[in-house]
Amino acid sequence: MSKSTDEKLSNERTIEENSLSSKDYKYGFYTDIETDHFPKGLSEKVVAMISEKKNEPSWMREWRLKGYRHWVTMKEPHWPNFNYGPIDYQGVSYYSAPKKYNEKKNSLDEVDPELLKTFEKLGIPLTEQKRLSGVAVDAIFDSVSVGTTHQSELAKVGVIFCSMTEAIQHHPDLVKKYLGSVVPYSDNFFAALNSAVFSDGSFCYIPKGVRCPLELSTYFRINAAESGQFERTLIVAEESSYVSYLEGCTAPMRDKNQLHAAVVELVTMDNAEIKYSTVQNWYSGDKEGRGGIYNFVTKRGKCLGKNSKISWTQVEAGSAITWKYPSVILQGDNSIGKFFSVALTNNRMQADTGTKMIHIGKNTKSTIISKGISTDESNNNYRGMVKIMPSADGARNFSQCDSMLVGNKCSANTFPYIEVKNSTAVMEHEASTSKINAEQLFYLRSRGLDLEGAVSLIINGFCKEVFKELPMEFAVEAVKLLEMKLEGSVG
Amino acid sequence: MISKIEETTPFIKNFEDVAQSLLSKNDPLWLKDIRQKSLSRFRQLGLPTVRDEEWKYTNLSPIAKNIFHLPTTGQIIEKEALQKYITQAEINIVFVNGIFSKELSNLKNIPKGVTILPLEEAFQKEETTFKSISKKFDPEKETTFVVLNKTLQTTGIFIKVAATSIINNLIHIIHVTSVAKDSIVTFPRTVISLEKSSEATVLESHVAFSDDSTYLINALTDIVVEENATLHYTKAQKESQKAYAVTNTRVWQERNSNFNGMTVTTEGSIIRNNLDIILNGEGATGTLDGLYSIYKSQLVDNHTMVDHRVPNCQSNQLYKGILNDAAHAVFNGKIFVRSIAQKTNSYQLNKNLLLGKKCLVDTKPQLEISADDVKCTHGATIGQLNEDEIFYLRSRCIDKRTATKMLARGFVDDLLNTIKSDSIHQKMNLLLEPSLSAL
Repeated sequence: MSKSTDEKLSNERTIEENSLSSKDYKYGFYTDIETDHFPKGLSEKVVAMISEKKNEPSWMREWRLKGYRHWVTMKEPHWPNFNYGPIDYQGVSYYSAPKKYNEKKNSLDEVDPELLKTFEKLGIPLTEQKRLSGVAVDAIFDSVSVGTTHQSELAKVGVIFCSMTEAIQHHPDLVKKYLGSVVPYSDNFFAALNSAVFSDGSFCYIPKGVRCPLELSTYFRINAAESGQFERTLIVAEESSYVSYLEGCTAPMRDKNQLHAAVVELVTMDNAEIKYSTVQNWYSGDKEGRGGIYNFVTKRGKCLGKNSKISWTQVEAGSAITWKYPSVILQGDNSIGKFFSVALTNNRMQADTGTKMIHIGKNTKSTIISKGISTDESNNNYRGMVKIMPSADGARNFSQCDSMLVGNKCSANTFPYIEVKNSTAVMEHEASTSKINAEQLFYLRSRGLDLEGAVSLIINGFCKEVFKELPMEFAVEAVKLLEMKLEGSVG
Repeated sequence: MISKIEETTPFIKNFEDVAQSLLSKNDPLWLKDIRQKSLSRFRQLGLPTVRDEEWKYTNLSPIAKNIFHLPTTGQIIEKEALQKYITQAEINIVFVNGIFSKELSNLKNIPKGVTILPLEEAFQKEETTFKSISKKFDPEKETTFVVLNKTLQTTGIFIKVAATSIINNLIHIIHVTSVAKDSIVTFPRTVISLEKSSEATVLESHVAFSDDSTYLINALTDIVVEENATLHYTKAQKESQKAYAVTNTRVWQERNSNFNGMTVTTEGSIIRNNLDIILNGEGATGTLDGLYSIYKSQLVDNHTMVDHRVPNCQSNQLYKGILNDAAHAVFNGKIFVRSIAQKTNSYQLNKNLLLGKKCLVDTKPQLEISADDVKCTHGATIGQLNEDEIFYLRSRCIDKRTATKMLARGFVDDLLNTIKSDSIHQKMNLLLEPSLSAL
């Protein structure tokens, strides 16, 4: 299954474009690596083939098929406040892996050096000896995980951190118990699709009483053309454990839209805490809105135990379309859900993002801080839901969503849904929309800052509440990312 | 989908029959034309269900189950209660069961500059004004209940205030529903036009003085406020506890005009208010306040829409509600700021006080902004009375129930005290009395 000439041509063009506009998107390069991929199309056979390729047990295959059969009965949803052309689900290859990738590697030395180079170029050194920072990385290239670092160190404290494929082989009981427990295959159109065709992802299990010594991280990279990425992440935190998890994403620049439909599930037991941070920088398309990733992701956490805590922090700076609502189901009494988000849209990007907080347990608390910045001709939406069920006595919510508009061709919209079914609930919601304050701008410029510097300083201040939630390295990266994105759109 | 058709077929059939009987009447051709067009659109739209985003929290199936008839009698039984509510000296326009009552109305002291005509007459005498007003509101965006009213409008009132007239007298439009054997349906239609630099105060009351009659009110009020004009408009609703009401108010504002609106709602089984304001002239200010005090299993649904079409306009919204028992409140406020509407200043707040054990609140303040130099804020709060405040009052020997009432009163007065007209203020207190004393 080698590449067709067509694909080669398109790749050449991509590379050419890269050199021209590398300032806009520095991750837009493409790795010329031989891949092993399925022909385009989706059917029960393809689902079975994926399962076979990964040598999965029969229960897993059955689960995939259930997902597929359900997906066939569903219709593609179109309720968000943006438009996208029809997605040809048969025009996508559902499995693409580097050819030299073998099922199991003993050490990272055996990984194709071309691949390692790619990740190095992205700033993610996988070779352990080069690592200084205390972050364990699971690197996912197209459909497969190419390497997970620091596994032995983590195993010492009992933390399981591996790719989903490995987890299905080595920890089937855990996967069976929790997979689909937060986002069932029937949840929504894209979750059903993901359940059927997910090819890899990260699995993470923190045993009772363990505070994970490293920050865990997954790095997603889409490389192949005309493929989608469908990964599935599952994190389980047992009683009184803690883990901080980071996620980063990039893709080459191509002039066709690519689909990324991931599912992330988090489960926390009594007194456990999961902190999940995302810096999303998929390729967002060019100025005319051609190309870019459709980022349709289902992320949900379940605070199953008492006093448990889940926090989502996201910096959404890429994708042609971002459509995701990291949510928390607050089931355990006194559990806490938090959501911090910065969504920046430029050119013709469209974002419809926010969160859902479902209060079920008593004295559950949730906080939502969302900052949206739209520039150029982009469209930025906050859509959130706070639902307080009759059982949630003493539930508390605070939501704040601010939008900033730069330029007069963009738009910022807010759609908060607040449903309160318990009269002891206290909730506050506030939102504002404004432009950069001219006086502040003038003040900074009179102190010798140029326009871009001043704008970036003000925007950093605007987003500070969210950035301070990010782990340090990520916060630095996020600030740089915003600066890069805003370049040229101000003035 | 099948259930939707099954459920709403009788409802649509019901009104098709009524419409056919009206179409055979000798109305002017253009009115017949409106009826025909609206009827076909009504058929097309059907009755909304909870699957429609606009009706997500308000289930209309209890309404759809009933068969409603046009009222046959305009007699009022609870005359005394009504006399108490209206002030004789004011301009009173009274409709009983949707039928104009000459006996109860007071049209003697109409000041110079004001034209008040029954709708039938206005259709003929003020045809041009009437047509120009109806042209302002996009027929494509009309909802089921707007077209239903347009199909079946029979009686109504037309009020025009001539340019530069300042009217100090209160114009009070009262729609009373009195006990009827069958479930009746009325289609109140009000058209208010304020010409340049005029000012007027209008109170539109929808009241019933008995609690056990089932009926449906489907009202449509169109308001046009021309340049520099100011309208103080209050809508008051106190229906029977088994009544259903859907009101639609559409406001069109020109340059530097002022619309000062307030909606006060207490009692009714299902009440839905749609209030649309279109700011079409620079410097216009629209105020839309609302107050609801409900108990038992009543449902009040307020949907507002403010469309900022031009630069330099202002809109303010404050909706406050007290909920007791198992009451259910819905609020949905939309603010649209078009891309040319720079320097817009828009404010929206919904506050809910939950006193009952089973009350529900669904609120959705919504902003859609396409211009950058704007100031728009919105907020929503849901909470209980402050325990410290109750403790303070109780430590002064005030029992808990009185303390609760006092604090609730304070919550309400915040808004009521913004009403300029004393007469309206008094009347609102009279209407709110039963629900507040039930706390």
